[in-house]
Amino acid sequence: MFRIRWTATLAASALVALTACAPPGADEGGDEGGAIPVGVIADLTGATGDVGTPYNDGMLGYIDWINSEGGIEGREIDATSKDYAYDVPTAERLYKEYLNEGAVAIQGWGTGDSEALSGKVSQDEIPFMSASYAEALTDPAQAPYNFVVAPTYSDQARVGLNWIDEDSDATAEVAFFHNDSPFGLAPLADAEAWIEEKGLDISMEAYPMPAGAANYVGLLARAKAQGAKYVLIQNVSSPAATVAKDIAAQNLDMRIVCLNWCSDELFIETAGDAAEGSVLVQPFAPVTADQEGHADIEAYLSEKGSSLEEEGVHYVQGWYTMHILAEGIRQVLEDGDDLSGPAIKEALETMGPIDTGGVVGTGTVEFSSDSHRGSTGSGVYVAEGGSMKPLETGVTPE
Amino acid sequence: MSATATGVYHRSYRRESALRHTKAEYFRLALMIVGLLVTPYVLDNYWLSIVNTILIAVIGAVGLNILVGFTGQISLGQGGFLAIGAFSSALLYQRADLPAPLSIACAVVITAVAGALFGLPALRIKGLYLAIATLASQEIIVFVARRWTFLRDGSAPLTVDRLSLGSFEIERQYFEWQWYWILLTFAVLAVLAARNLFRSSLGRSFMAVRDQDIAASAIGVNITRAKVTAFAVSSGFVGLAGALSAHYTETVTWEAFTLDVSILYLAMIIVGGLGTIAGSVYGAAFMVLVPVFIQETVGAVGDSVPVLLSRVPAIEQVVFGLVIIFFLLFEPRGLAQIWQRMKDYIRFWPFRY
Repeated sequence: MFRIRWTATLAASALVALTACAPPGADEGGDEGGAIPVGVIADLTGATGDVGTPYNDGMLGYIDWINSEGGIEGREIDATSKDYAYDVPTAERLYKEYLNEGAVAIQGWGTGDSEALSGKVSQDEIPFMSASYAEALTDPAQAPYNFVVAPTYSDQARVGLNWIDEDSDATAEVAFFHNDSPFGLAPLADAEAWIEEKGLDISMEAYPMPAGAANYVGLLARAKAQGAKYVLIQNVSSPAATVAKDIAAQNLDMRIVCLNWCSDELFIETAGDAAEGSVLVQPFAPVTADQEGHADIEAYLSEKGSSLEEEGVHYVQGWYTMHILAEGIRQVLEDGDDLSGPAIKEALETMGPIDTGGVVGTGTVEFSSDSHRGSTGSGVYVAEGGSMKPLETGVTPE
Repeated sequence: MSATATGVYHRSYRRESALRHTKAEYFRLALMIVGLLVTPYVLDNYWLSIVNTILIAVIGAVGLNILVGFTGQISLGQGGFLAIGAFSSALLYQRADLPAPLSIACAVVITAVAGALFGLPALRIKGLYLAIATLASQEIIVFVARRWTFLRDGSAPLTVDRLSLGSFEIERQYFEWQWYWILLTFAVLAVLAARNLFRSSLGRSFMAVRDQDIAASAIGVNITRAKVTAFAVSSGFVGLAGALSAHYTETVTWEAFTLDVSILYLAMIIVGGLGTIAGSVYGAAFMVLVPVFIQETVGAVGDSVPVLLSRVPAIEQVVFGLVIIFFLLFEPRGLAQIWQRMKDYIRFWPFRY
């Protein structure tokens, strides 16, 4: 017994002695003036890879373009982009990897990972933008280092619901089809509250879309029983296109209203004729909306032997999300400050409106210290003749 | 059984019941201790974060091995039990303001109780049928975690404040370093506890149930008690892993506890070695490192073969499947057995045995 106690004491005291001595010199990441490290967490092959790939291409395209233009204040962006396949633990691992490599800002992707990392990024003071426009991320009190560049899913749903209310004569029966994840559920509560608050003549039911379903006939049968005339979809393009095809195949009298992630050329292309007449709420101007902000992208892409028509609206989205981060970084460097997470946050909050050439929302994106809601305006488009035809632009929920 | 154990004679009972008998074993223990003490000083933060993930996985894998490897009760509910541990500890720490050690301890107890409850079907069914019953528990727990708004902060997932206890608080720049010592302590205690559990009558009753339950009951093992206790003890370990992961990752979301996680843990103990505690450790380390090494390798050769870069998750899936098939075919007793054979080979060299 004595021997065991002796060994235990020795081991414990050795452990205490070791932990008490200073940890290895933690790198404070002082700014040395070289390339600017930025980490990108991308979904190329996961559940949302269909739209994640062009978005990621857009980000990398922007970086390639700005570096060839001489970088930001003479400094290039050194971006690392890795696929996390829409898996939250992988995103956490990539985040730590980027952090260790000294990234000053992170470009994320989905709602699940953005929300899961939001506590971490605020503790680590790393500005985080993503393609998730969940309302919860716009409040600096809750998520001080998350920046939401586009109108939130809730705002998009409000615009969509307003459009439905105007379009319908009697009480509009709406089936809300959503991805069964934090991303899909994000706007639901706000949409219901909006109907209540504005007294819209809408009755809405929510239906989670089972992942990996071959078709949505069962879900549509339930929507039909509800008497739905409109299907509001918060999901990515491929499943949304399946819904459109199922509606056509079943000869149902329903009209699709898509939010952000299925409002694109991919949806129209995949669904073919079935997409005709669908309404698309999209905060980023597609090539058919022809904004001046498209010019740089077009010039860059034609040099690469491609075109915006081929790449689609999510390319624009990735490009301009990176643009907004780059503008924040530019502001820090122009002010002559050391490049760090808090400095970029401060710059984004105080620099005033960032011009996007009419591409994002109502044309500019602006953050403040009490709101990280960059924009509130969305465009409403209709699928006609195989392309996105603008109905209204810069619609804010009112 | 290892061949190394032959030729060792004991002159006292205490000597016989020691965990280690030979000088070589003590030497390896010393080597391992030195290795563990040096680790945080040689690895950078990224690699240390991976080691920390491994340490949490070790606790979870040890827990699962107690149930699957030692008691012979298959479980697909690992992810669900991790979720119970994580959510309980996070809620108690965050909403009820309990100090961290207390909230973690409560989470262990809560998960153990839940495990015993979900283990009740094991009293009536075995094998494949039990697998499906535990699959149901996985789905039920994750379903509740998905739908119950109490388990979220408004519309955001539950966040956990940085760990603090009294005047001690985890610091930002030493985050991984401080967590390493905390997790290492828990992992070492878990491994020691599990190792000794199977030298006690309770642990031996688990193994009797695994080997032949009817014979076990004939020699006086209370099967009901053994099975329910096995579920409780195993879930207790898993709950500890879940609680630690909640404090370590600082966010608790159901997305980290899906069926994939249950399968991953099963893979860990299959690859490591069913029914060995050391195997759980090797397996946990191996399965956490596989995706990391794939990414590193692809990153290294990615410039010459760019098509690989965009296929990393797909490659991971393929390798994951191949690894399991490989071990089931060539070494069903896992890494622990491979390690054993290596030791024997060196010991008897140049003879075969």
